[in-house]
Amino acid sequence: MFSSVQGIQVVGMSAAVSNTWDSLLDISDEDEKVLQKFIKKIGVKGRWSASQKQTTSDFCFAAAEALLNEKGIDRSEIGVLVFVTQTPDYGIPATGCVLQMRLGLPKNTIAFDVNLGCSGFTYGMEIASALLNISDCRYALLLAGDTSAREKSLRNIQKTSHSAALLFGDSGTATLLEKTGNEKLLFASATDGEGFRAIISPYGQWRNPDRPDTEPAGTRMNDVDVFNFATTEVPTQLKAYMEHEGATPESYDDLVLHQANLMILKQIAKKTGFPLEKVPISMDRFGNTSSSSIPITIVDKYGECEDNEEIRELCCGFGVGLSWSTVDLRLQTKDILPLIHTDEFFVDGYPAPEED
Amino acid sequence: MDTQEKIALIEDTLDLDEGTLTPETVLAEIDEYDSMAKLSLIVMADDEFDITLTSDVIKGFVTVDDILKALD
Repeated sequence: MFSSVQGIQVVGMSAAVSNTWDSLLDISDEDEKVLQKFIKKIGVKGRWSASQKQTTSDFCFAAAEALLNEKGIDRSEIGVLVFVTQTPDYGIPATGCVLQMRLGLPKNTIAFDVNLGCSGFTYGMEIASALLNISDCRYALLLAGDTSAREKSLRNIQKTSHSAALLFGDSGTATLLEKTGNEKLLFASATDGEGFRAIISPYGQWRNPDRPDTEPAGTRMNDVDVFNFATTEVPTQLKAYMEHEGATPESYDDLVLHQANLMILKQIAKKTGFPLEKVPISMDRFGNTSSSSIPITIVDKYGECEDNEEIRELCCGFGVGLSWSTVDLRLQTKDILPLIHTDEFFVDGYPAPEED
Repeated sequence: MDTQEKIALIEDTLDLDEGTLTPETVLAEIDEYDSMAKLSLIVMADDEFDITLTSDVIKGFVTVDDILKALD
Protein backbone atom coordinates (compact mmCIF):
# COMPACT_ATOMS: atom_id res chain seq x y z
CA MET A 1 0.00 0.00 0.00
CA PHE A 2 1.32 3.43 -0.96
CA SER A 3 0.04 6.46 0.88
CA SER A 4 0.83 10.11 1.40
CA VAL A 5 -0.01 12.76 3.96
CA GLN A 6 0.25 16.36 2.82
CA GLY A 7 1.16 19.34 4.97
CA ILE A 8 2.87 17.42 7.78
CA GLN A 9 6.58 17.72 8.49
CA VAL A 10 9.06 16.18 10.88
CA VAL A 11 10.25 19.11 13.01
CA GLY A 12 12.18 17.31 15.74
CA MET A 13 13.90 14.03 16.55
CA SER A 14 15.69 12.76 19.66
CA ALA A 15 16.86 9.51 21.20
CA ALA A 16 17.75 8.40 24.72
CA VAL A 17 19.85 5.58 26.14
CA SER A 18 21.30 4.80 29.57
CA ASN A 19 24.77 5.71 30.85
CA THR A 20 25.87 2.05 30.80
CA TRP A 21 27.55 0.74 27.67
CA ASP A 22 28.33 -2.97 27.70
CA SER A 23 30.87 -4.52 25.37
CA LEU A 24 29.75 -7.96 24.22
CA LEU A 25 33.23 -9.20 25.10
CA ASP A 26 32.52 -8.30 28.75
CA ILE A 27 28.99 -9.63 29.12
CA SER A 28 29.09 -12.87 27.15
CA ASP A 29 30.62 -16.14 28.24
CA GLU A 30 30.60 -17.31 24.63
CA ASP A 31 33.88 -18.59 23.16
CA GLU A 32 35.90 -15.52 22.13
CA LYS A 33 36.51 -16.76 18.60
CA VAL A 34 32.78 -17.23 18.02
CA LEU A 35 32.10 -13.85 19.59
CA GLN A 36 34.61 -12.12 17.32
CA LYS A 37 32.90 -13.74 14.34
CA PHE A 38 29.56 -12.48 15.62
CA ILE A 39 30.95 -8.95 16.02
CA LYS A 40 32.39 -9.00 12.50
CA LYS A 41 29.48 -10.61 10.66
CA ILE A 42 26.41 -9.50 12.61
CA GLY A 43 27.97 -6.13 13.35
CA VAL A 44 27.27 -5.52 17.06
CA LYS A 45 30.20 -4.71 19.37
CA GLY A 46 28.12 -3.66 22.35
CA ARG A 47 24.99 -1.86 23.46
CA TRP A 48 23.55 0.57 25.96
CA SER A 49 21.76 -1.39 28.67
CA ALA A 50 18.83 -0.13 30.72
CA SER A 51 19.24 -0.01 34.47
CA GLN A 52 17.27 -2.47 36.57
CA LYS A 53 14.13 -0.30 36.82
CA GLN A 54 14.28 1.60 33.53
CA THR A 55 11.60 0.86 30.97
CA THR A 56 11.15 1.88 27.35
CA SER A 57 8.72 4.61 28.39
CA ASP A 58 11.42 6.14 30.61
CA PHE A 59 13.73 6.51 27.61
CA CYS A 60 10.93 7.86 25.40
CA PHE A 61 9.91 10.29 28.15
CA ALA A 62 13.47 11.63 28.46
CA ALA A 63 13.76 11.96 24.68
CA ALA A 64 10.40 13.76 24.40
CA GLU A 65 11.05 16.09 27.36
CA ALA A 66 14.36 17.20 25.88
CA LEU A 67 12.83 17.68 22.44
CA LEU A 68 9.81 19.69 23.60
CA ASN A 69 11.96 21.86 25.90
CA GLU A 70 14.68 22.45 23.32
CA LYS A 71 12.18 23.49 20.68
CA GLY A 72 10.03 25.48 23.11
CA ILE A 73 6.86 23.65 22.13
CA ASP A 74 3.58 24.76 23.68
CA ARG A 75 2.32 21.41 24.94
CA SER A 76 -1.30 22.51 24.74
CA GLU A 77 -0.89 22.34 20.94
CA ILE A 78 -0.06 18.60 20.98
CA GLY A 79 -3.04 16.37 20.27
CA VAL A 80 -1.61 12.99 19.20
CA LEU A 81 0.70 10.63 21.11
CA VAL A 82 1.54 7.28 19.55
CA PHE A 83 3.74 4.96 21.63
CA VAL A 84 5.22 2.08 19.65
CA THR A 85 6.78 -0.71 21.67
CA GLN A 86 6.85 -4.42 22.43
CA THR A 87 8.05 -3.74 25.96
CA PRO A 88 5.26 -1.66 27.54
CA ASP A 89 5.17 -0.87 31.24
CA TYR A 90 2.03 -2.88 31.99
CA GLY A 91 -0.33 -5.51 30.58
CA ILE A 92 -2.93 -2.75 30.79
CA PRO A 93 -3.32 0.24 30.64
CA ALA A 94 -1.62 1.39 27.44
CA THR A 95 1.64 3.07 28.40
CA GLY A 96 0.75 5.91 26.00
CA CYS A 97 -1.84 7.06 28.56
CA VAL A 98 0.81 7.20 31.30
CA LEU A 99 3.12 9.14 28.97
CA GLN A 100 0.34 11.67 28.24
CA MET A 101 0.23 12.36 31.99
CA ARG A 102 4.01 12.37 32.53
CA LEU A 103 4.61 14.74 29.61
CA GLY A 104 1.84 17.09 30.73
CA LEU A 105 -0.07 16.83 27.47
CA PRO A 106 -3.66 18.08 27.25
CA LYS A 107 -6.57 15.78 28.06
CA ASN A 108 -7.70 16.41 24.50
CA THR A 109 -4.92 14.11 23.30
CA ILE A 110 -5.44 10.82 21.51
CA ALA A 111 -2.85 8.51 23.11
CA PHE A 112 -2.37 4.78 22.70
CA ASP A 113 0.15 1.98 22.15
CA VAL A 114 1.06 0.13 18.98
CA ASN A 115 2.47 -3.38 19.28
CA LEU A 116 5.11 -3.50 16.57
CA GLY A 117 8.86 -3.99 16.64
CA CYS A 118 11.35 -3.39 13.89
CA SER A 119 8.80 -1.83 11.54
CA GLY A 120 7.46 0.28 14.42
CA PHE A 121 8.99 3.63 13.59
CA THR A 122 7.87 3.71 9.98
CA TYR A 123 4.40 2.37 10.82
CA GLY A 124 4.19 4.85 13.70
CA MET A 125 5.08 7.72 11.37
CA GLU A 126 2.18 6.82 9.11
CA ILE A 127 -0.27 6.48 12.00
CA ALA A 128 0.81 9.70 13.76
CA SER A 129 0.88 11.82 10.60
CA ALA A 130 -2.50 10.53 9.41
CA LEU A 131 -4.07 11.25 12.80
CA LEU A 132 -2.51 14.70 12.92
CA ASN A 133 -3.78 15.37 9.42
CA ILE A 134 -7.43 14.74 10.41
CA SER A 135 -7.15 16.58 13.72
CA ASP A 136 -7.53 20.25 14.66
CA CYS A 137 -4.23 20.33 16.55
CA ARG A 138 -0.74 21.43 15.54
CA TYR A 139 1.65 18.72 16.78
CA ALA A 140 1.87 14.94 17.09
CA LEU A 141 4.45 12.97 19.06
CA LEU A 142 5.67 9.57 17.96
CA LEU A 143 7.45 7.77 20.76
CA ALA A 144 9.12 4.52 19.72
CA GLY A 145 11.48 2.19 21.49
CA ASP A 146 12.19 -1.11 23.16
CA THR A 147 14.23 -2.54 25.98
CA SER A 148 14.86 -5.88 24.31
CA ALA A 149 18.29 -6.31 25.93
CA ARG A 150 16.71 -5.79 29.35
CA GLU A 151 14.00 -8.30 28.47
CA LYS A 152 16.68 -10.87 27.68
CA SER A 153 18.66 -10.25 30.86
CA LEU A 154 15.54 -10.32 33.04
CA ARG A 155 14.76 -13.71 31.58
CA ASN A 156 18.26 -14.95 32.38
CA ILE A 157 19.18 -15.94 28.86
CA GLN A 158 21.71 -13.19 28.30
CA LYS A 159 24.91 -15.17 28.48
CA THR A 160 23.87 -18.34 26.79
CA SER A 161 24.74 -17.92 23.15
CA HIS A 162 25.74 -15.64 20.35
CA SER A 163 22.24 -15.30 18.94
CA ALA A 164 19.39 -13.02 19.92
CA ALA A 165 20.61 -12.44 23.48
CA LEU A 166 23.56 -10.38 22.26
CA LEU A 167 21.88 -8.66 19.35
CA PHE A 168 19.63 -6.13 21.06
CA GLY A 169 20.05 -2.78 22.80
CA ASP A 170 17.80 -0.65 25.03
CA SER A 171 16.56 2.81 24.03
CA GLY A 172 13.66 5.14 23.32
CA THR A 173 13.09 7.90 20.79
CA ALA A 174 10.81 10.86 20.17
CA THR A 175 9.80 12.33 16.82
CA LEU A 176 7.77 15.53 16.60
CA LEU A 177 5.44 16.13 13.67
CA GLU A 178 3.92 19.51 12.85
CA LYS A 179 1.09 20.54 10.59
CA THR A 180 2.95 22.98 8.37
CA GLY A 181 3.93 23.62 4.76
CA ASN A 182 2.84 21.76 1.65
CA GLU A 183 5.36 18.94 1.54
CA LYS A 184 4.14 15.35 1.57
CA LEU A 185 5.21 12.53 3.82
CA LEU A 186 5.17 9.39 1.69
CA PHE A 187 4.74 5.80 2.79
CA ALA A 188 4.72 2.20 1.59
CA SER A 189 3.46 -0.46 4.02
CA ALA A 190 3.10 -4.23 3.96
CA THR A 191 2.28 -7.25 6.13
CA ASP A 192 2.75 -10.99 5.73
CA GLY A 193 1.01 -12.77 8.59
CA GLU A 194 2.07 -16.10 7.08
CA GLY A 195 5.38 -15.37 8.78
CA PHE A 196 3.95 -14.73 12.24
CA ARG A 197 6.00 -17.58 13.74
CA ALA A 198 9.32 -16.22 12.45
CA ILE A 199 9.70 -13.90 15.45
CA ILE A 200 7.35 -14.78 18.28
CA SER A 201 7.00 -14.59 22.02
CA PRO A 202 4.31 -17.26 22.30
CA TYR A 203 3.68 -17.53 26.04
CA GLY A 204 2.24 -15.34 28.75
CA GLN A 205 -0.62 -13.77 26.82
CA TRP A 206 -4.06 -15.22 26.13
CA ARG A 207 -3.45 -17.83 23.42
CA ASN A 208 -0.92 -19.70 25.58
CA PRO A 209 -1.04 -18.18 29.07
CA ASP A 210 1.27 -20.72 30.69
CA ARG A 211 4.69 -21.68 29.44
CA PRO A 212 5.54 -25.39 29.80
CA ASP A 213 8.80 -25.92 31.72
CA THR A 214 10.26 -27.61 28.67
CA GLU A 215 9.87 -24.47 26.55
CA PRO A 216 12.38 -21.60 26.56
CA ALA A 217 11.27 -18.21 27.90
CA GLY A 218 11.08 -15.03 25.90
CA THR A 219 11.16 -14.30 22.21
CA ARG A 220 12.38 -16.79 19.64
CA MET A 221 13.47 -16.07 16.11
CA ASN A 222 13.96 -18.17 12.99
CA ASP A 223 17.15 -16.49 11.75
CA VAL A 224 17.01 -17.97 8.27
CA ASP A 225 13.37 -17.09 7.58
CA VAL A 226 13.86 -13.54 8.86
CA PHE A 227 17.03 -13.15 6.82
CA ASN A 228 15.37 -14.35 3.61
CA PHE A 229 12.34 -12.14 4.25
CA ALA A 230 14.46 -9.05 4.88
CA THR A 231 16.70 -9.54 1.88
CA THR A 232 13.88 -10.16 -0.58
CA GLU A 233 10.75 -8.25 0.51
CA VAL A 234 12.54 -5.10 1.69
CA PRO A 235 14.48 -4.44 -1.54
CA THR A 236 11.32 -5.22 -3.51
CA GLN A 237 9.33 -2.62 -1.58
CA LEU A 238 12.07 0.00 -1.72
CA LYS A 239 12.53 -0.40 -5.47
CA ALA A 240 8.75 -0.36 -6.09
CA TYR A 241 8.43 2.74 -3.93
CA MET A 242 11.24 4.61 -5.70
CA GLU A 243 9.77 3.69 -9.08
CA HIS A 244 6.34 4.89 -7.90
CA GLU A 245 7.85 8.22 -6.80
CA GLY A 246 10.25 8.58 -9.71
CA ALA A 247 13.12 8.62 -7.22
CA THR A 248 16.57 7.00 -7.35
CA PRO A 249 19.28 6.43 -4.72
CA GLU A 250 20.72 9.80 -5.82
CA SER A 251 17.50 11.48 -4.63
CA TYR A 252 18.38 10.74 -0.99
CA ASP A 253 21.03 11.68 1.53
CA ASP A 254 20.68 8.32 3.25
CA LEU A 255 18.94 4.97 3.14
CA VAL A 256 18.20 4.51 6.83
CA LEU A 257 17.47 0.85 7.44
CA HIS A 258 16.29 -0.88 10.55
CA GLN A 259 19.53 -2.07 12.15
CA ALA A 260 18.77 -5.79 11.94
CA ASN A 261 22.21 -7.18 11.27
CA LEU A 262 25.09 -6.09 9.10
CA MET A 263 24.72 -8.88 6.55
CA ILE A 264 21.09 -7.92 5.93
CA LEU A 265 21.96 -4.23 5.55
CA LYS A 266 24.67 -4.98 3.01
CA GLN A 267 22.36 -7.22 0.96
CA ILE A 268 19.56 -4.63 0.92
CA ALA A 269 21.99 -1.87 -0.08
CA LYS A 270 23.34 -3.97 -2.91
CA LYS A 271 19.91 -4.96 -4.22
CA THR A 272 18.54 -1.40 -4.13
CA GLY A 273 21.58 0.25 -5.70
CA PHE A 274 22.52 2.34 -2.67
CA PRO A 275 26.27 2.67 -2.06
CA LEU A 276 27.22 1.56 1.47
CA GLU A 277 28.36 5.13 2.25
CA LYS A 278 24.69 6.12 2.06
CA VAL A 279 23.58 3.43 4.52
CA PRO A 280 24.48 4.72 8.01
CA ILE A 281 25.23 2.13 10.70
CA SER A 282 24.46 2.56 14.39
CA MET A 283 24.08 -1.08 15.40
CA ASP A 284 27.81 -1.54 15.97
CA ARG A 285 27.49 0.55 19.15
CA PHE A 286 23.74 0.41 19.86
CA GLY A 287 22.83 -3.13 18.84
CA ASN A 288 19.52 -3.87 17.18
CA THR A 289 17.29 -1.27 18.84
CA SER A 290 13.97 -2.49 17.41
CA SER A 291 11.56 0.39 16.72
CA SER A 292 14.18 2.94 17.87
CA SER A 293 16.70 1.92 15.26
CA ILE A 294 15.84 4.40 12.48
CA PRO A 295 15.65 7.58 14.62
CA ILE A 296 18.71 6.47 16.62
CA THR A 297 20.67 6.05 13.40
CA ILE A 298 19.63 9.54 12.26
CA VAL A 299 20.46 11.03 15.69
CA ASP A 300 23.79 9.19 15.67
CA LYS A 301 24.70 10.65 12.27
CA TYR A 302 23.30 14.18 12.53
CA GLY A 303 22.69 14.91 16.23
CA GLU A 304 26.00 16.73 16.67
CA CYS A 305 25.79 18.67 13.35
CA GLU A 306 26.68 22.32 13.77
CA ASP A 307 25.56 23.59 10.36
CA ASN A 308 21.93 23.27 9.43
CA GLU A 309 20.99 21.48 6.22
CA GLU A 310 17.85 19.83 4.90
CA ILE A 311 18.24 16.10 4.47
CA ARG A 312 16.02 13.64 2.63
CA GLU A 313 15.94 10.20 4.20
CA LEU A 314 14.49 7.01 2.81
CA CYS A 315 13.71 4.94 5.91
CA CYS A 316 12.65 1.31 5.99
CA GLY A 317 11.70 -0.77 9.02
CA PHE A 318 11.11 -4.52 8.78
CA GLY A 319 10.67 -7.48 11.09
CA VAL A 320 8.25 -9.08 13.54
CA GLY A 321 4.78 -9.56 12.07
CA LEU A 322 6.08 -10.04 9.55
CA SER A 323 5.65 -6.41 8.66
CA TRP A 324 7.67 -3.84 6.78
CA SER A 325 7.22 -0.25 5.75
CA THR A 326 8.99 2.68 4.20
CA VAL A 327 8.77 6.40 4.88
CA ASP A 328 10.30 9.10 2.70
CA LEU A 329 10.92 12.17 4.85
CA ARG A 330 12.80 15.47 4.92
CA LEU A 331 14.08 17.19 8.00
CA GLN A 332 16.44 19.93 9.09
CA THR A 333 19.55 18.74 10.88
CA LYS A 334 19.13 21.58 13.42
CA ASP A 335 15.98 19.77 14.59
CA ILE A 336 17.91 16.61 15.47
CA LEU A 337 19.10 16.59 19.10
CA PRO A 338 22.36 15.03 20.26
CA LEU A 339 22.01 11.62 21.95
CA ILE A 340 20.56 11.84 25.46
CA HIS A 341 21.79 9.73 28.38
CA THR A 342 19.57 9.04 31.38
CA ASP A 343 19.29 6.56 34.23
CA GLU A 344 16.04 8.01 35.55
CA PHE A 345 12.91 5.93 35.87
CA PHE A 346 9.29 6.56 36.78
CA VAL A 347 8.20 5.69 40.30
CA ASP A 348 4.60 4.73 39.68
CA GLY A 349 3.63 4.12 43.31
CA TYR A 350 2.17 0.71 42.50
CA PRO A 351 1.34 -1.37 44.42
CA ALA A 352 -0.18 1.31 46.59
CA PRO A 353 1.27 1.28 50.12
CA GLU A 354 -1.05 -0.23 52.70
CA GLU A 355 -2.89 2.28 54.77
CA ASP A 356 -2.29 2.31 58.50
CA MET B 1 31.61 -23.87 -11.79
CA ASP B 2 32.96 -27.36 -11.04
CA THR B 3 32.59 -29.22 -7.76
CA GLN B 4 36.06 -28.30 -6.48
CA GLU B 5 35.41 -24.62 -7.10
CA LYS B 6 32.09 -24.83 -5.31
CA ILE B 7 33.71 -26.58 -2.34
CA ALA B 8 36.36 -23.85 -2.22
CA LEU B 9 33.59 -21.27 -2.20
CA ILE B 10 31.81 -23.04 0.67
CA GLU B 11 35.10 -23.24 2.60
CA ASP B 12 35.65 -19.53 2.09
CA THR B 13 32.06 -18.77 3.15
CA LEU B 14 32.43 -20.80 6.36
CA ASP B 15 35.88 -19.30 7.12
CA LEU B 16 37.52 -22.72 6.77
CA ASP B 17 40.99 -23.48 5.43
CA GLU B 18 41.22 -24.72 1.85
CA GLY B 19 41.04 -28.49 1.62
CA THR B 20 39.04 -28.89 4.84
CA LEU B 21 35.86 -30.13 3.17
CA THR B 22 34.94 -33.04 0.94
CA PRO B 23 31.44 -33.84 -0.39
CA GLU B 24 31.17 -36.48 2.33
CA THR B 25 31.97 -34.13 5.24
CA VAL B 26 29.15 -34.17 7.80
CA LEU B 27 28.14 -30.60 8.64
CA ALA B 28 27.21 -31.39 12.25
CA GLU B 29 30.86 -32.27 12.85
CA ILE B 30 32.12 -28.81 11.82
CA ASP B 31 32.28 -26.32 14.69
CA GLU B 32 32.07 -23.40 12.28
CA TYR B 33 28.73 -24.57 10.85
CA ASP B 34 26.55 -22.39 13.10
CA SER B 35 23.64 -20.00 12.57
CA MET B 36 25.93 -17.27 11.24
CA ALA B 37 27.45 -19.75 8.77
CA LYS B 38 23.97 -20.54 7.49
CA LEU B 39 23.29 -16.85 6.88
CA SER B 40 26.63 -16.56 5.09
CA LEU B 41 25.66 -19.51 2.88
CA ILE B 42 22.39 -17.75 1.98
CA VAL B 43 24.32 -14.63 0.93
CA MET B 44 26.80 -16.67 -1.10
CA ALA B 45 24.06 -18.70 -2.85
CA ASP B 46 22.20 -15.49 -3.68
CA ASP B 47 25.28 -13.57 -4.86
CA GLU B 48 26.98 -16.35 -6.83
CA PHE B 49 24.12 -18.53 -8.03
CA ASP B 50 20.99 -16.37 -7.70
CA ILE B 51 19.49 -19.14 -5.58
CA THR B 52 17.45 -18.59 -2.39
CA LEU B 53 18.18 -21.15 0.33
CA THR B 54 15.03 -21.43 2.44
CA SER B 55 15.05 -22.61 6.04
CA ASP B 56 13.53 -25.95 4.96
CA VAL B 57 16.32 -26.51 2.43
CA ILE B 58 18.98 -25.58 4.99
CA LYS B 59 17.43 -27.86 7.60
CA GLY B 60 17.84 -30.71 5.10
CA PHE B 61 21.62 -30.21 4.82
CA VAL B 62 23.45 -33.17 6.33
CA THR B 63 26.67 -33.29 4.29
CA VAL B 64 28.58 -30.85 2.10
CA ASP B 65 27.19 -32.74 -0.87
CA ASP B 66 23.67 -31.59 0.10
CA ILE B 67 24.86 -27.98 -0.18
CA LEU B 68 26.48 -28.71 -3.53
CA LYS B 69 23.22 -30.17 -4.85
CA ALA B 70 21.27 -27.13 -3.68
CA LEU B 71 23.65 -24.91 -5.63
CA ASP B 72 23.12 -26.80 -8.92
